[in-house]
Amino acid sequence: MQCIRTVAVSMILACTVLLFSRITDAQSSVSVENFPDWSGVWQMIGPTVFDRATVAPADGRAGQHGVREYPPYNVEWEGKYVANIELIRQDRFPDTISTCGTFPGFPRTMNLPGAMEFVVRPEQVWILTEDGPSITRIYTDGRNHPPPDEIWPTYSGESVGEWEGDTLVFKTIGIKGAGDTILDRTGLVLSEQAQITTRLRRVDESTMEARMIIEDPEALTAPWSVNKQYERLPAGSRMFDVACAENNRNPVDEAGRTLTLDAEGNILDMNY
Amino acid sequence: MGREKNSSSILKLYSLIIFGFACSPVTAHHSGNMFDRERTVELTGTVKEFQWANPHIWIQVLVPDTAGLLEEWSIEGGVPNRLFRAGWRPTSFKPGDEVTILANPMRDGAKAGAFVGARLTDGSTLGRFSN
Repeated sequence: MQCIRTVAVSMILACTVLLFSRITDAQSSVSVENFPDWSGVWQMIGPTVFDRATVAPADGRAGQHGVREYPPYNVEWEGKYVANIELIRQDRFPDTISTCGTFPGFPRTMNLPGAMEFVVRPEQVWILTEDGPSITRIYTDGRNHPPPDEIWPTYSGESVGEWEGDTLVFKTIGIKGAGDTILDRTGLVLSEQAQITTRLRRVDESTMEARMIIEDPEALTAPWSVNKQYERLPAGSRMFDVACAENNRNPVDEAGRTLTLDAEGNILDMNY
Repeated sequence: MGREKNSSSILKLYSLIIFGFACSPVTAHHSGNMFDRERTVELTGTVKEFQWANPHIWIQVLVPDTAGLLEEWSIEGGVPNRLFRAGWRPTSFKPGDEVTILANPMRDGAKAGAFVGARLTDGSTLGRFSN
């Protein structure tokens, strides 16, 4: 008798789980159609200067000597930025992703030269980038950020958001800061205390827009607004690997100097 | 034969090339300052190897020096994914191809450079190449 009861209870439980999972699947498959279509492959418009509204000179490119932007840094972090700019002038400020194995990190995810995808699901949105490569998960299932004792600095950070019509509004915290990530190759950095609120939407058939407000009580004296746009690549475009370690012939030495190797792995630099 | 171009008209041309290089994926991954963007060398030789791989493609070219001895040059290009979208293919260069390559050479004189443009065996060009 006990055996029959156990089997019956087990069957009821199994049927309940099966029924629930089918309902959930059905809800997901239906509701995803109610979200905006962000399919396709996208690429940032313009060069990889993070804040093109303040870059000087106006046509300056990230990595060129003397190019800088003007975030509302406090004195201490302005000093850090100036020090990075000087290291760039000395060719001793390698891109953090030159170590070949780490993510670019958020918010640099929104400032990469390679292609990207925005994958919308009812419970999450994923931003997939070739560079890194990296994945930024934005939870939209109603959850909050984890409590402070469950957060540690990561490249992607912790992102939760919600939909306001066709605009995804999400807040990212828990990012890795200066020393582990940069925002661009002018030497821009943030602290681990940074909080980025992003409003992401499809402006028209061929354009996505991210409007970011960056707050960083450690590094900034005021909220910093940065806008980025992305264009849709031709239909049928594909994403590819950017596996940096595959054949990295430009390793960085301990002093931050970028070396150049020949096809056999020997250092080509004459004065090294 | 490797030779350096110095005329003012060529400098004007190469100002465009330099602009293009500044926008190119070569600068996306690491410092590109080992390359002298104010100078461009023209290398005519034979492709030894084409490395279509991340993070940057490399073209190994055997170029005769003034004495006729072959020197191996390492030419660094962009990221394969972006080059692919610009029309390059993993077979764009093949061992044995006779090519002429324009490159920004390394500042220290090492036999390496950053790819600017090339004329291939069949006369077609890649990147920014002008006679």
